[in-house]
Amino acid sequence: MMPLLEVDRLTKTFGGLRANHDISFSIGEHELVGLIGPNGAGKTTLFNCLSGLHPITSGRVFFNGEEITRLKPYEIARRGMARTFQVYAASGDLTVEENVMVGCFMHTRSRSLAKEHAGEILKEMRLKDLGGYLMSELPVAAQKRVTMATALASRPKLLLLDEVAAGLNTMEIDEILTTIKEIHEGKKITVMLIEHVMELVMKVSDRVIVLDYGEKIAEGPPQDIARDPRVIKAYLGERYVREQQVNEH
Amino acid sequence: MEAIRNALDFKDFPRIDLIVAGFVAAFLLAFPLFPHSSFAMVTMIQFFIFSVYGMGWNTIGGYGGQVDLGKAQYVGIGAYTTSVLLIRWDIPFWVSMPIGMAIAVIWSFVIGYPLFRLKGHYFAIATIATSLVLKDLFTIWPFVGAARGLEISPVKYPPPDFLRLIFKDDVYYYYIIFAFFVLGVLYMNWFRKSRLGFQLRCIKDNEDVAKSLGINVHWAKIKTYAIATAFVSMVGSFHACYIKNIEPDDVMSLDLSILIALMAMLGGAGSLWGPIIGAGILIPLKSYLKEWLGATAGLVGIDLILYSVIIMLISAVEPRGIWGVVEKARRRKRR
Repeated sequence: MMPLLEVDRLTKTFGGLRANHDISFSIGEHELVGLIGPNGAGKTTLFNCLSGLHPITSGRVFFNGEEITRLKPYEIARRGMARTFQVYAASGDLTVEENVMVGCFMHTRSRSLAKEHAGEILKEMRLKDLGGYLMSELPVAAQKRVTMATALASRPKLLLLDEVAAGLNTMEIDEILTTIKEIHEGKKITVMLIEHVMELVMKVSDRVIVLDYGEKIAEGPPQDIARDPRVIKAYLGERYVREQQVNEH
Repeated sequence: MEAIRNALDFKDFPRIDLIVAGFVAAFLLAFPLFPHSSFAMVTMIQFFIFSVYGMGWNTIGGYGGQVDLGKAQYVGIGAYTTSVLLIRWDIPFWVSMPIGMAIAVIWSFVIGYPLFRLKGHYFAIATIATSLVLKDLFTIWPFVGAARGLEISPVKYPPPDFLRLIFKDDVYYYYIIFAFFVLGVLYMNWFRKSRLGFQLRCIKDNEDVAKSLGINVHWAKIKTYAIATAFVSMVGSFHACYIKNIEPDDVMSLDLSILIALMAMLGGAGSLWGPIIGAGILIPLKSYLKEWLGATAGLVGIDLILYSVIIMLISAVEPRGIWGVVEKARRRKRR
């Protein structure tokens, strides 16, 4: 079967800095792929390249059977790739509902349809009561849910989640984990997620890709990744491995 | 159909807003019936003119967050088109106004396309520059009367001339611009709820987010800029018939551009009522200050001092102007 996303030797340089180097991978339909790596490994840069915000230096990207390497961000978004952002500027005067409506407006001109659709998504994302609030009035966990709801509103085939669990407490992480599973299994949306919260990545991912210094150093099922010596050295650290062993016994 | 329903639907405003708006509308409708000085009449007409300018500015400047300081060039295009067509070929206002709007919109595409590659302050400065260049071109262009400008002679057209918009009594002008004003409010009420309106607010918030939601940011800005332009040019045409004597230093000046932006910002950029509140405060203040202080005490330029004070207040206290203060208070109360 043809993969939904195929990345072929993607390289992105900023001046002399190689943020992404020769990265290749593919994601099949209905997969859930984790992307991990230390800070500055080029994870968000990779997302920016995939969604078209950064022009790619070399390499090619195919989405849904079509080359999207040189397409503009909005063209890629309209083909069904949505994403969230790590840092969300919450200064605006759009309410939660209005934010989600912007996503809905990708498929309709009608305000009433957009409003209706936004209402359904807010309900699904358990944000129904927060519709009238501004982003800046919400706690971090709710803000993250809103960014996910907004991305979902554009009805994506592939959803890129950039650290949706960062800054959340254990209970909130559990909630977001449930939500991600609902999106992936319930709505049958392919998901790729950047995450530092290991328990989340390891629990939900079908497959994990590891970046270090802009290069892909490992790829495989979560349990293999957790034992990969290169990954342990570059990112997970000895402590994580010890903890896992303790948990297993 | 939905567009018309949205334009006429003000239900999402609190009742107090609608009551106040109703009283203001009733006052504006009845104003000419009460005894008034001709100076008050002129001020009221100026208020309407600037309200509609401000509504136009508010699309791109308020909802879109792109501070545009070059709206005077489109006032000029509207005013000159109407004047030239009337004086040279006796083409009436109702024909020349749409022609002027079309020319202004085409010009807005020509300069909007490159200008919207710029952001923030650079965009604002570039809009000033294009406006001033156009003004200078008109100042040396004999076809449009160069620096002397153009004068519509009312003697040739016995008033009241509804086709050419030549009247002796200001009350005609009052109700015509009042009609434009009402249409402007309805259009803006639709605009703020339209897809483009939502997209612009998202662009103002965060352009990367907007792009990732399938919005062609560059094109959305250009389109909105054209809408703003059409508004301004339309009233520019009216201004020409009303004043009957236009020159580049007047209809295309930087002062005018700044005043348009300032009024919308003072009232509340990005809100329906903002430009109206801004014009409602600033126009009477400006007229009467000039009348009292300028003429009697020789304090020429007092209005400029006033503008700078307002600019400082807006940037220091509340970037979203008077309406921003009101909305903030309401949010606090609700929580």
